[in-house]
Amino acid sequence: MGWLRRLFHKSLTEKRMDAELRFHLEQRVRDYVASGMNQEEAQRRALLTFGGLEQVKQDCREARTENHVEDFLRDFQYALRSLAKDRRFALIAVLALALGIGATTVMFSVIYNIVFDPVPYRDFQRSVVFEMRDLTSTGDKGGRDHYTIPEFLAIREQNHVFEDIVGNYQLDILYADGKGTRRFLGGYATTNGFDFLGVPPILGRVFSPEDGRPGAPLVFMMNYRLWQTEFHGDPKILGANFFLNAKARTLIGIMPQRFNGYGSSLWLPLGLSPGSDGTSFPVKDPPIIWALARLKKGVSLQAAAADLDAIVHGLAQANPGELYPQQFKVVTRTLLDFVVGDFQNTLYALLAAVFLLLLIACGNVGNLLLARATVREREIAVRASLGASRGRLIRQLLVESFVLAAAACVAGCLFAYVGLKGLVAIIPPGPIPEETVIGLSPAVLLFALVIAVLTTLICGLAPALHAVRGNLQLRMTNSGKGAGGGSRHGRLRSGLVIAEVALSIMLLTGAGLMMRSFFTLTHVDLGFNPERMLYTRVAPAADGRYDTAVKKKLFFGQVLQRVKALPGVITATVSLSVPPLWGAGSFITVPGKTHSERWESMFDLCSDGYIQTLGLRLLRGRLLSETDIDSGRHVAVINQAFARAYFGSENPLGQKVKFNAFDEIPETPHDAYFEVVGIVTDFRNRGLIEPLSPEAFLPYSISGFGHRVILAKTAVDPKSLLPSVQREIWTVDSNAAVASSGSVKDLLAEESYARPQFGLIAIGAFAGVGLALVLIGIFSVMAYTVALQTHEIGVRMALGAQRGNVLTMVLWKGLRLISVGVLVGVLTSLGLTRFLASQLSGVSATDPLTFLAVVIVFLAVGLFASLLPASRAAGIDPLVALRYE
Amino acid sequence: MEQEKTEVLKGTLDMLILKVVAFGPIHGYALSQRIQQISRDFFQVPEGSLYPALYRLEDGGWLQAKWEETETGREAKFYSLTRAGRKRLSTEMVNWERLSEAVALILRTVE
Repeated sequence: MGWLRRLFHKSLTEKRMDAELRFHLEQRVRDYVASGMNQEEAQRRALLTFGGLEQVKQDCREARTENHVEDFLRDFQYALRSLAKDRRFALIAVLALALGIGATTVMFSVIYNIVFDPVPYRDFQRSVVFEMRDLTSTGDKGGRDHYTIPEFLAIREQNHVFEDIVGNYQLDILYADGKGTRRFLGGYATTNGFDFLGVPPILGRVFSPEDGRPGAPLVFMMNYRLWQTEFHGDPKILGANFFLNAKARTLIGIMPQRFNGYGSSLWLPLGLSPGSDGTSFPVKDPPIIWALARLKKGVSLQAAAADLDAIVHGLAQANPGELYPQQFKVVTRTLLDFVVGDFQNTLYALLAAVFLLLLIACGNVGNLLLARATVREREIAVRASLGASRGRLIRQLLVESFVLAAAACVAGCLFAYVGLKGLVAIIPPGPIPEETVIGLSPAVLLFALVIAVLTTLICGLAPALHAVRGNLQLRMTNSGKGAGGGSRHGRLRSGLVIAEVALSIMLLTGAGLMMRSFFTLTHVDLGFNPERMLYTRVAPAADGRYDTAVKKKLFFGQVLQRVKALPGVITATVSLSVPPLWGAGSFITVPGKTHSERWESMFDLCSDGYIQTLGLRLLRGRLLSETDIDSGRHVAVINQAFARAYFGSENPLGQKVKFNAFDEIPETPHDAYFEVVGIVTDFRNRGLIEPLSPEAFLPYSISGFGHRVILAKTAVDPKSLLPSVQREIWTVDSNAAVASSGSVKDLLAEESYARPQFGLIAIGAFAGVGLALVLIGIFSVMAYTVALQTHEIGVRMALGAQRGNVLTMVLWKGLRLISVGVLVGVLTSLGLTRFLASQLSGVSATDPLTFLAVVIVFLAVGLFASLLPASRAAGIDPLVALRYE
Repeated sequence: MEQEKTEVLKGTLDMLILKVVAFGPIHGYALSQRIQQISRDFFQVPEGSLYPALYRLEDGGWLQAKWEETETGREAKFYSLTRAGRKRLSTEMVNWERLSEAVALILRTVE
């Protein structure tokens, strides 16, 4: 940095230089005087021999580094001038780089915002969740991440690894404002919950420990969105009383917009002692809660897991029973991992894709620069012979690439700005915390800048080094576009094209595989037709008026009758879940059967119209009848998978099945055995990817527990019927809240297709850009080669070569380049696509069809890109070509 | 009293400077005198070439400079060789010997 200081302390340097030169003069005068000259004459002579003092100073100044800055400016101007001369080249290069930089910046900002800055919580990197993982069940399904309150208290008291721990659970809150009842998503959180996340409220206060004491005044907090939509942001509602779940509570605080802790609209304090006063938890049906904890500084996830494991195993020994799996271990995950989870893999796959894209862009520009350098060989040789050092020439060429990269950086940021908006629009909502703001931040722009500098080095250095290699003087004598120079650069240029093709193949195979996978996913045979199917989740009234089986039957019986009568509805049914996405499951007992592993089945509580509404086919026995429903008989219709898994070749009809989970559920027959009366066809009951599970369909009238769903097959667009369905429900009881509703088809798209679609669109766009870049790359190289070979082709044609020969010669050359690139790309892809496996379903990572399609696309693109240069070559007039020389 | 003096051959000035500086730290004036003396007044080094050369060599890392007192008590800038400078001197000397041999050879053959 010495030169920098000198630049700004020029006067000091100048003084030093003056002093040195003055010393020289004085010494000379002294010597003259010593040899007998008088003082005046000596001075005159000394100055005379010295020559122009100012000129010497200037020469000295120029010999120093600070002038490198001036040199740099001169290089900069020179670069601008020479790029302006070749505008088409400059435009293509800037465009290619801008696409690369823009795409990289978009992906980086998505990842930066989602992975590094997703939530505004304090120390969120140290926030963890933990779960008991059942080691006996396969997959990661088994186990639980919710805890009873005694478990929570034990963990809170006994752990050595947490700084703080919050317990919370979600529940529906019915809000009655005197005119009607509405349902909001509410959350109970221990009173430290808000200090834990460290986000201050915008109005009022957060919970204090007093709010959780038994007998404390009832309070609650509200999120920003609810405050805006329901209360128009009126600050006066702070301190007002609201009737929530039939109890009056005071609003004490409103949280800011960027806060979605505990995923609720309303928050209530969770007291940890049993009681019935609203602050304490109910004794009869105690909640199980979810825990969020902050690790002490320096404690690893593994250490925390080990500590918790000991505690929970202690609890399991003290309370043997169904509460704990036979074998389990405690696993800890960061909050980020828990929320973003697998989506990170999608993001990293895309980041890898854009880096490939950037490399392709660099290869492209590097190639263009090389082509340019070849044309400029003469200019470079002239400059070298005029005394420019190699370093100086390299620097000058690098400045030129830097000018390109800088322009591309600006254009790239513009691309990124637009691209980001597009990407955010298609990003699936699930895996991203609501608080995440995705946009261009200073960190992201800095990243773009770093990428631009890197790009300069990657695409500029090789051509620059190449340009000044070898004997520069000798090249003066060549014409500069002779065959010698051409072939010297030729190998590097071909290498770059091959690399580009190979990189692009990787991108395209990735996109191809995802496309295949997406196609497979959207064409999974569901076993039922989700077209024109409506669902409405119905949350019964808060006061428990429908909590018995009889009352529930009464309510839904009426609703069903009204819904069925609506014009446009073909059939309708009650169910517990919306197929194919969710369902309830239970361990089962079949009398007379012995087996070592536990048997499981899903179950649904439905009315007689269920099988018809889904369009399942009856294979044996009979369907649920109206009498089954009306009298709540213990009968079951099972699916094929159930019959196959647990009855094998036996006849299942007449067999009995017990659903163990019912013993734990209130208002549901305990210790009850259901007789199998029929077998129906399978349908996808665990989503699109998981294999389907055994399932039983039971009369809904047996249980008074939980919320239900109304499913209806319609003749018209199901969404157009939603208001009527809602109206019918309210006609039966205005206190019943409609929780969520829509068409099954839309739900399926949102839940199952959105994520792979996002990956597909993003990687597809990147692959498309990559392909376009390769097209430009092959075209420019072939066009350039033809230009260089004009003379040779002229000679060939003069010697009798046909136009067809020339055409095939050029095409063949292009095809050879591409083939090598394709080969390298396919081999590399075969090794790399397995990293994409987590993003794929229903298609192997080395799917031969995809690879074949990609290869064909590339050969076609290569031929297409070589065609124009080839036809130009074939159109060369030998007379003109030879005279031209 | 005026002798015929030749300007140092282009391209060899750097080598001569490095060679003289190699004897020990020396300031610019003394350097010019030494070159003149050693070449028995054959070469004269004009200041207009000497100082830019010194600055260039310093900047390139072949010379390092330090302000010190002369015997007469004046402050002067003393140059000395760096490791890179020593290396460059030896390669330039080898090159020069080869060149002059080659030139001599040609001159002799033409005779």
